[in-house]
Amino acid sequence: MEYFALLLGSGLVIGATYGLVGMGFAIIYKATGVVNFAQGELLMLTAYIAFSLTQGLSLSFFPLLLVTLPIAMVLGVLLERIFIRPMLGEPAFSIVMVTVGLSVILRGLTIMIWGPDPHEFPIGLSSAVVHLGPVPFYPVQLYALGSLAVATGGAWAFFRFTRLGIAMRAVAANEAAALLMGIRVDRIHMLAWSFSAAIAALAGVLFAAMFKLGPTIWFEGLRSFPAVILGGLDSVLGAALGGLVVGVVENMAQGYLGQGLREIAGFVVIVLILMVRPYGLFGDRQIERV
Amino acid sequence: MRTGHFKDSYAALVALSDSRVVWAWTGVLGLALLALPLLVGAYSLTLAITILVAIVGAIGLNLLTGTTGLISLGQSGFLAIGAYTNGILLTDHDWPIWAALPMSGLVAAAISLLVGVPSLRLKGLYLAITTLAFSFIVNYLILFFESVTHGSNGIFLGDVTILGFDLSADRPLYYFVLAVTGLLALGALNLGRTRIGRAWLAIRDHDIAARAMGIDLVRYKLLAFFMSSFFIGIAGALMSLQIRFINIDIFGFLLSIEALAIIILGGLGSVAGAILGAVFLTLLPEAIRILLSLVVDPNASTYSKYIYEIRGITYGVVMVLFLRFKPDGLIGLWRDAKKFFANWPLAY
Repeated sequence: MEYFALLLGSGLVIGATYGLVGMGFAIIYKATGVVNFAQGELLMLTAYIAFSLTQGLSLSFFPLLLVTLPIAMVLGVLLERIFIRPMLGEPAFSIVMVTVGLSVILRGLTIMIWGPDPHEFPIGLSSAVVHLGPVPFYPVQLYALGSLAVATGGAWAFFRFTRLGIAMRAVAANEAAALLMGIRVDRIHMLAWSFSAAIAALAGVLFAAMFKLGPTIWFEGLRSFPAVILGGLDSVLGAALGGLVVGVVENMAQGYLGQGLREIAGFVVIVLILMVRPYGLFGDRQIERV
Repeated sequence: MRTGHFKDSYAALVALSDSRVVWAWTGVLGLALLALPLLVGAYSLTLAITILVAIVGAIGLNLLTGTTGLISLGQSGFLAIGAYTNGILLTDHDWPIWAALPMSGLVAAAISLLVGVPSLRLKGLYLAITTLAFSFIVNYLILFFESVTHGSNGIFLGDVTILGFDLSADRPLYYFVLAVTGLLALGALNLGRTRIGRAWLAIRDHDIAARAMGIDLVRYKLLAFFMSSFFIGIAGALMSLQIRFINIDIFGFLLSIEALAIIILGGLGSVAGAILGAVFLTLLPEAIRILLSLVVDPNASTYSKYIYEIRGITYGVVMVLFLRFKPDGLIGLWRDAKKFFANWPLAY
């Protein structure tokens, strides 16, 4: 039972980072209809930028976020303007391939700038273990869970109550109709990229602080695919929930079934889910006409 | 403008080319390829073999992604299956290469049906992600079934001979790979002018419309997966013959991206495009290496330290630029050039 609780706890924590990255995927997909394959690299780049900030300024967690998130948002806007905006109106296949290309460019540049060696990433949190019931947590792990909760709550309120959030939902529902209603669709796309980049930065900082900051951190993006597929590509809150589920499933598979299964349990889950429900668990079924 | 250009039989309509000039130049190209080992050094020959292997893989991916419109990010998984099948059959079961090579293709093709079945329900991006997941699962299974695949130890290919020629030497290997590539390219070209090839194009353009026109989607989509993976499996087997030591680290995600970059650079859906793309994308990192060693760093240590990153950035830039400015790739440039001269001095 204690073993189970331990697996559950660490699964939820890793699942929280998957959930955050997955929310980033879902926001961009919802607003623009494109899967951003460079999400993991966005996470990597912003985590490295945050790393340089901690080296230079020795900020602790919250001030670090205050500085990093705006930088990430600007970065997201720039990437959208330079790489995605010129592709407006092209088939989704081309735009997705551009994000695949963007991903290898960002990955290569980041490694060439910061070097291939992994770094410790201290963000000034204590390493004293906190017990919640039977499960021990490091403070940074609790921050990860808390961040997911805040991001989910924020996203829910944003899409539910704000003018901008409702405009974003309108664009997702029908781009042309939204444009005719006076919504600046291009601005909504830009906004989606900047929000997505900010969430990626949050996930990146947390992930690097929990483990290490290394040149393979981009893989976190691909590892989060199962979360967003589980939730349905266009469901932001579904992605957060999917992240938690996938994190737990991966850890349970590793703990009870066999070594190394953590790496692929999520991918097995998505193949199975997509065979049963081709649009994910919470995704909208699209009706196609000839 | 060419005139008097009409066809009076169905066979002439679907012929690979009706132009004697094209056939003559193809003959010249064939002779040049046959003479190549006599003219160039060992390093260039190795590069030529790499290009030929890339051509086989690119033609395979192009059948699926370019012709049928099913996006695959799982190229590296099928390459790994082909390479490992070939390695295991050659070393552990003492199969001759002429049997092991087609078998590698068949095994990859058979396994692809497992991915193909979920793909029948999936569209576009969901399919891309499933194939990506598949390639990770393949890598894991190869490490897991150590008794069959040698796991993380990798497989070292010993002496491989065909008709008495030792394939570990560059020249025999070149001719062997050239023969296989030629056969497969011809096969793909011929596939394109049958009912199957036209059905694939119809599925790419609109699969629901294609179904309404009487194309069995299940059958032709699975066939696309099968044929594409057969090619890619053989490319993997050829790769294993060239590198001679098979290790799971070779089959990373970057390989799948490289394959996509090749067919985007060359032009989606065309065999000639796949060939052009493979030639240029394989030579591009070489060109960059030479340029860097001339301009920046005489001993080229930056290049060797960041070789993967530079390659990755190159592929990325090629993909982004071509998708943005020339979505039909190099073959599109070639068609434009032909049209320009055919119409000159008129614009069109």
